[in-house]
Amino acid sequence: MTTESKIATRILTALAEYLKRDVTTIGLEHSLRDDLGLDSMATIELLFRIEEAFDLQIPDEDLQGLVTVADVVAYVEGRLKPSTPSRTAKQPAKRAPARKKG
Amino acid sequence: MNTRVVITGLGIVSPIGIGIGQFWKAALEGHSGISAIRAFGDLPLEAYRCRVAGQVADFNPAQYLDPVQAERIDRYAQFALVATKEALADAGLLMEQENPHRVGVIVGAGMGGMVMGEREITQLYRSQKPNRVHPNFIPTITLNSASGIVAMAHGAKGPNLTISTACSSSAHAVGQALTCIRTGQADVVITAGADASITPLVFAGFCSLRALSTGFNDEPERASRPFDRARDGFVMGEGAGALILESLPHARKRKARIYGEVAGYAATSEAYHMVIPREDGAEVATTMSLALRDAGVAPRQVDYINAHATSTQIGDAVEVKAIRQVFKDRADRIMVNATKSMVGHTLGAAGAIGSIACALGLETGQVHPTINYDDPDPACTLRGISAQAQQRTIRIALLNAFGFGSNNAAVVFKKFVR
Repeated sequence: MTTESKIATRILTALAEYLKRDVTTIGLEHSLRDDLGLDSMATIELLFRIEEAFDLQIPDEDLQGLVTVADVVAYVEGRLKPSTPSRTAKQPAKRAPARKKG
Repeated sequence: MNTRVVITGLGIVSPIGIGIGQFWKAALEGHSGISAIRAFGDLPLEAYRCRVAGQVADFNPAQYLDPVQAERIDRYAQFALVATKEALADAGLLMEQENPHRVGVIVGAGMGGMVMGEREITQLYRSQKPNRVHPNFIPTITLNSASGIVAMAHGAKGPNLTISTACSSSAHAVGQALTCIRTGQADVVITAGADASITPLVFAGFCSLRALSTGFNDEPERASRPFDRARDGFVMGEGAGALILESLPHARKRKARIYGEVAGYAATSEAYHMVIPREDGAEVATTMSLALRDAGVAPRQVDYINAHATSTQIGDAVEVKAIRQVFKDRADRIMVNATKSMVGHTLGAAGAIGSIACALGLETGQVHPTINYDDPDPACTLRGISAQAQQRTIRIALLNAFGFGSNNAAVVFKKFVR
């Protein structure tokens, strides 16, 4: 198993644990919001787990690029590659909400 | 016919000034009270995504309070005490001439005594000495500590309540004070909102929630920018606001100066999400409409709105959407401002501070600027939002406040006409 697919597995497992569902029901192509039902707060909670798991800090402005599970995997892979600039997530087709009422 | 309720005294502790005179001058001039956080103990500051806040600098409690008493109460309660003292003096209300059971205290607080709260928790786990937890810990972190302290300080023996609805706490406190006087439970309510939780744990929590601005750590004064395209989250503030609410007959009897009338109030729940507002603005619109109806006021009569406007992407846009739903053609003719652009989001104090801006607006016709409104966001533009101070007679003012836990408040203020 390559490092990259290991990252995908860890992220899928984290998602499955968070959503309390079988990992086989979650695909890389799934949209966090539209397919998995994560609202902006739930996305932040998930990313909190991922930050912890991979020892990362994900800046607010990078959240917009994280629409699908594959986006999250690609983002984490990019961040873990040595000497890669921090903001490597591809630009979003649509904006993932990450906003609060206050 | 409801008993009419009027505002007869104001007091404030804010990041742009302690005392109404200083606050109002700074607000009209558009001062920013947002500054860099210098330290959180020994914690690595760079690990906080946001490093700016609306801090009440150089607050020396001994200057305003008995030093022994001051040391025994948390910072937010010190703020509440200083603000209510000023408000009572401003109202010229002499407690020795009042029936104390007819004077109530209602305080809004979102976080409460977190300075001592965090200190004691940290020390317990570090020291492993449960027998060294401070005896004053419980009375301090109990969320009604400020309302109790305020009542004791002034000898107010009427209803003594704390409203905790996060960011809208003291808007509800003003509304509940109105209700309290209308229903005859009190003649006077010392109404306040206070919070002082720019503390290492609470601040880190708001950072983790990704609720705070992160893009202006090197330019603190630009960080709080409601309705501006570049806004990226709210900026935490601290402070207290106080208003003396009084039945009109009681105020008349003692020939009190009247800033304006508190004429209507609505409280609703979106029953939707802990921290996200409904994007269609429908519940916010309903809240404003209910408050206007309670005041017997039509939308076309409103001159000024003190917006909740925290400087988050979604919150500001939802509020403007709701304002358009309620006010339709009138929406662009109403003066609208965001006090948080200068003081940040003072949480439990925000509604009281906004109410103070409404009361002063009714009295003077002045509306303070919304600073950093440099590049109006097309998603939340109203013609009445301005980076400059505005002046026009205000007959009706409306305050909005929305809080975590899916709750909304709106309060209607009226220019006092005999």
